[in-house]
Amino acid sequence: MTNQQNSMHACPACGLLCDDISGEAIAKQQFSCGKAAKFYARTSNGAQPRVAGQPVSLTQAVHAAVELLKQAKTPLIAGSSTDVHGARALVSLSHHTHAAMTHLNASSTLRNMQVLQHRGWQTTTLTEVRNRADVILMIGTDVVSHNTRFFERVVWVPEAMFTAPAARKIIYLGGDDLNTKPGVSPDGRAPEVIPCASEQLPEVVATLRALVMGKPVTAETVAGVDVSRLRTVAETLKAAKYATLVWVSKDLHYAHAELTIENITETVVALNQKSRAMGLSLGGSDGDTSVNYAHTWLNGVIIDTPDWESHDAVVWVNSYSPDAMPPAGTKPVIVLGAADSQFEETLAVFIPVATPGLDCNGQQFRVDGSVTLPLSAAKPSDLPTLSQVIAMIETELKGVAA
Amino acid sequence: MITVLKNAKVIDPAHGKDGVVQDIYIRDGRIIAKPADSEKIAQVYDLNGKIVMAGAIDMHSHIGGGKVNIARMLLPEYQAMRKLEEPEAHICGANCSHHATPNTTDTGMRYIEMGYTAAFEPAVLAVNARQAHMEMGDTPMIDKGGYAMLGNDDYLLRLLSQNADQKTINDYVAWTLHATQTIGIKVVNPGGISAFKFNERRQDLDQLHSYYNITPRRILQALSRAVNEIGIAKPLHVHCNNLGVAGNFQTTLDTMGASDGIPMHLTHIQFHSYGTEGDKRFSSAAANIAEAINNNKHITADVGQILFGQTVTASGDNMMQHLNAKVANPKKSVIMDIECDAGCGVVPFKYRDQNYVNALQWAIGLEVFLSVDDPWRIFLTTDHPNGAPFTSYPHLIRLLMDKTFRNDAFDKLNLDAQAMSNLKSLEREYSLYEIATMTRSAPAKLIGLHDRGHLGVGAAADITVYTDQADKEAMFAKPDLVFKDGELVVKEGKVVKVVWGATHTAKPAFDLGVEKDIKQYFDRYHTMQMHNFKISDDQIAEDGRNHVINHSQG
Repeated sequence: MTNQQNSMHACPACGLLCDDISGEAIAKQQFSCGKAAKFYARTSNGAQPRVAGQPVSLTQAVHAAVELLKQAKTPLIAGSSTDVHGARALVSLSHHTHAAMTHLNASSTLRNMQVLQHRGWQTTTLTEVRNRADVILMIGTDVVSHNTRFFERVVWVPEAMFTAPAARKIIYLGGDDLNTKPGVSPDGRAPEVIPCASEQLPEVVATLRALVMGKPVTAETVAGVDVSRLRTVAETLKAAKYATLVWVSKDLHYAHAELTIENITETVVALNQKSRAMGLSLGGSDGDTSVNYAHTWLNGVIIDTPDWESHDAVVWVNSYSPDAMPPAGTKPVIVLGAADSQFEETLAVFIPVATPGLDCNGQQFRVDGSVTLPLSAAKPSDLPTLSQVIAMIETELKGVAA
Repeated sequence: MITVLKNAKVIDPAHGKDGVVQDIYIRDGRIIAKPADSEKIAQVYDLNGKIVMAGAIDMHSHIGGGKVNIARMLLPEYQAMRKLEEPEAHICGANCSHHATPNTTDTGMRYIEMGYTAAFEPAVLAVNARQAHMEMGDTPMIDKGGYAMLGNDDYLLRLLSQNADQKTINDYVAWTLHATQTIGIKVVNPGGISAFKFNERRQDLDQLHSYYNITPRRILQALSRAVNEIGIAKPLHVHCNNLGVAGNFQTTLDTMGASDGIPMHLTHIQFHSYGTEGDKRFSSAAANIAEAINNNKHITADVGQILFGQTVTASGDNMMQHLNAKVANPKKSVIMDIECDAGCGVVPFKYRDQNYVNALQWAIGLEVFLSVDDPWRIFLTTDHPNGAPFTSYPHLIRLLMDKTFRNDAFDKLNLDAQAMSNLKSLEREYSLYEIATMTRSAPAKLIGLHDRGHLGVGAAADITVYTDQADKEAMFAKPDLVFKDGELVVKEGKVVKVVWGATHTAKPAFDLGVEKDIKQYFDRYHTMQMHNFKISDDQIAEDGRNHVINHSQG
């Protein structure tokens, strides 16, 4: 059994990897998602390697990169915006150059990982939510800022196996200026919105956890939120057949946000003593889940955040986001990146590489971590893949192919 | 180019050879008959009385897929640095995780150093198969393969609840093998993982599923029959209901009857051999289980021996792992529901010899090993990493081969546990021939690897050379030489050449018409399309390191 030639593509523009993108939609630029539209509008035409801003051949660019890497004592591989194949190649390069490795989303990934490593968690995946969830609580996020089609593909679906999708109860807790409109049901039922400022979420979420656990809470308000409203949310969660508590780590950007995430996940654990509930961490972009997972199985450790000051050369990879930049002033920088990368500073070396899902095939993890999808080249180009470029670098570095 | 291993003392149970001294000829990765005198011999290894066996095959070891990687992420406190030498240093960084959760490179290296040339991941969530293959593809040195989990996937439960005919089920099972690039089918806590999603906390063999109105027995009947009728070698791989529960031996005995005489493999049977006798209401039922295996020739089992120390349990059985999470050590765990397909539970454990239950678990596993008569039907596993890391196999082999060593270990156990075990009365000591059977010939036969696990002409030249020693742990920990597909890859217990192995699959014929309904199901309920669920050969091979070997017949 071979895969039939398929005209649908999985879109890596966000962590949902929606795999219903037709070739026709791409040709006509017809999407229900702005992120997909922007991704598939990109073009690789005319991209050429450059050294110190001057066009050179690929061989010359690789040679220049190798010279810089040979001189570097403590290189860093950063950005790391790529798929699983690219991640494998980057890990290999890190072994050969003794480079540290990180990802541009490492700090938000780490918020989740710290919770996982401290207490663990209980989580679910998109298809479970689509077919089971009767109550969805979104904490500090509207989701759609990150995962535009979440409601379209998971919540307000035509049918589900074990629940009535249109009857779902949607609750937004906290966060400023959330776009709660997607939470309106198809028949016009408004979601419940309990506003509070992001930085007050720690107190509010801790109180919700206490209420779910049956701990005494005597205050009438917490951070401006009526405890009676939180009490109702707690009872709603306890009465649900399959409550889903959603967070996006990137949206919880205040000090010790990992403690808030832990309060969310421990609320789930408490609910599961008697009823069913699960957490769902969303967001995910630039292949962050893929790179973290592959890095873990290849190295035995998760991706960490970098100490930029201690590195004397940086290999920056931005396959997915042409506008993703290393911190200003980072030098020297070797960029293995999207063909349409726009950098304000002159780069030491720039080698355009294929973007998985656009220029070349690939394989990528979805944001929920259990599902991986093949990426197919929507606009095949002649650009080398990241793996091919790194293999050239390694050959010249060590005289042996990886 | 021909290589000859001269004067090998061959132990090859597949051919009834027990210490036969002979020469083994290798060409192009295969064992060949003695060539004509005119043919040039390029390499000669004079083994002069060394013990020679086929490469060992681990038929149940959690080496790839989501739960293993979560286990790696979960336990940073066990991460360590080490100094690597070439050629391992060429493909691996200095980080390594706990020996229960090695990274992929470490996994391949440690297996081959022990003379193992293949390992099979027994719990491939169908929807997670692509990840499992990615991890196995990054595992060097050894061959790999997987068993796809069915029996808690809502599609099958839906078919059964609608009384679908057996042909439809057979086609779906065969389709799943193709789609997931696996070689066998496993069922974990049949119906239980699904029931947990409906807030049920236990699922007994004859208990109706609260939503689908079918029993685990029905699931076992349908799947064992399907696996048998589509014609693959590997019998249904069954993780019984009620894992770890005192008194669960009765469920296990009943499960043996659930396939109506069709071959069925019960996995990590140690965890399913518990009685309720004694003050602590936890006792060994190993004798009952072993007797039943001896009497039921359609049943095979692997043990899932526990050994003392820190490990992490990683299972698809999130229903039971949710209960076990209360005794996690360190106190943390990951429980997941996955895609209306399966689940997973990752719970760290520390087995202690002074803990009554742990000590008795240790004894129960050994009692089963020593009480099952036929080494072709009982397999050496620790259910890595659940009972213990696979690197403890040499220690386990010594426990089976050396009664004095075993009894000395027994004398150190929790005294109450000693009082509840008859282990010391078991005099049996496994022979090298029996060890070779349970670690080579039998797993190859069970899985259907016709060209592995033996040293006959035509076999792949996966060969392990040992020096016979009184200390069997030392002997099996460090073979003299290991050949993978005819290449010398390990010398004196150290890797000397990096190779990448292959992925073994079974792809039986089936009616492709079954895809029409499966596609409709995906379109209606899933968040991915059916074609993305399927993994093609070239997607497994696309990094150039791996290739697929199909073992279907006909």
